[in-house]
Amino acid sequence: MSATPGQANPVRAFVAQLWGSVFRHGLPTNDKVAARTALTNFFLHIHPVRVKKSAVRVSYTLCLGGLSFFLFILLTITGLFLMFYYIPSVDSAYQNVKDLQFVAVFGDIIRNMHRWAAHGMVITVWLHMARVFYQGAYKPPREFNWVIGTFLLLITLLLSFSGYLLPWDQLAIWAITVGTNMAKYAPIVGPYTRYLLLGGDQVAQGALIRFYVLHVIALPLIGFLLMVVHFWRVRKDGFTGGL
Amino acid sequence: MALNPYESTRGKMRARAEATRRQFLMIMGGLAAAGASLFGGIEVLRFMFPVASDNAPALFKTAFTFAELTGGVVGGKPVIPVNVLSETDKRVTVVLDDAGIYAVYLVCTHLGCTPNYVTDVTTGSGVSASVAEARGVRTSNQRLPNGWACPCHGSRYFIDSTNFYGPAPRPMDWVNIEVTPDGFFAVDRATLVATRGPGNNTAPEWRLLVDSKKSNGKTLGV
Repeated sequence: MSATPGQANPVRAFVAQLWGSVFRHGLPTNDKVAARTALTNFFLHIHPVRVKKSAVRVSYTLCLGGLSFFLFILLTITGLFLMFYYIPSVDSAYQNVKDLQFVAVFGDIIRNMHRWAAHGMVITVWLHMARVFYQGAYKPPREFNWVIGTFLLLITLLLSFSGYLLPWDQLAIWAITVGTNMAKYAPIVGPYTRYLLLGGDQVAQGALIRFYVLHVIALPLIGFLLMVVHFWRVRKDGFTGGL
Repeated sequence: MALNPYESTRGKMRARAEATRRQFLMIMGGLAAAGASLFGGIEVLRFMFPVASDNAPALFKTAFTFAELTGGVVGGKPVIPVNVLSETDKRVTVVLDDAGIYAVYLVCTHLGCTPNYVTDVTTGSGVSASVAEARGVRTSNQRLPNGWACPCHGSRYFIDSTNFYGPAPRPMDWVNIEVTPDGFFAVDRATLVATRGPGNNTAPEWRLLVDSKKSNGKTLGV
């Protein structure tokens, strides 16, 4: 960028170039620019370039999939905050949760946001599935997306269960006891599954750290990848009518 | 005609030979990748199964003494014998009755919670207290319809650990118990002295005898 005297203000030109390198279009003033904006922006490209007005009618279907995703984002952000205080150790986990509630500013609100969003996500995911089922939206060409959806439901429930254990209170300890003993009832692989989940034979430190890793890394990552595919298919296959 | 050397007869033969060689290399490479993935997958699975753990050992010494359970003199003062003493955290209860002493491993046979000791286990179960009192021989000074109630799903057990109510499929196990030289109990949760399958309501006869401090050796189902 060479600025010669008498030309435009070089600072202004620099800012314009910087802005232009990030956003390649001005504000969309007509359909053509709007379409190009959507196609060249990473965050917008997943959306259809054109959406029919009838397709975004949310009067009675409530965009439950979108609500589930919103809650997932909320859970990711609040969960990140919780991770600053929580240490997955049987000696300190419960105390960390109490610290979070009573020592950290707004900690109680963050924890409760995480908790209620988790309950809410289980509810919205179930209702989303029910809506898709009753509307027949699982039929071809969307049958593959329905299968991905069932896996996302499973991930949601596993996230809910694994998160339930982390405060390491009485509810948590007995839930993990009951849950892993249920796994033990499976033929042949049952006892191995229990050992795998607990990292031993008893509900102890090994179990807590395993469920923590599942809760904060493994399950959200798998869920995120499946969601990417899920949304991509929704975008490709179009909407059935409502959201 | 043959501007392209691969269109000549020799060229075609050569192309075929090369294709076969590429296919061969492709198959070999594929097999190597599959083998490496299989081996790696197995090792990843093995990684998740630790060969040792920091789990608590099966053998432990109780905090209460033989004398506290059976009566005797502790610290110069006579103690009143009690029927039931528990190590709830370690999930073992030691019971005294007229026949002797036994230890029940408090792991609910339904889904593994720790049942609580209750003095009337029959409440609301439709089973009369006299039936509960009759299960197992109690000491003459204390006859209660006592037993265990699981807090998770409501299973109930008589004092001889026989299940009678709720989802529990079978009685809780009895574990080996000995008197240590310094007068406590050594409980070995890895050694069962009585284990019963579903529907087996036989009261086990194994006891640690109060007089000799030795077991009578009458194991059941082990």
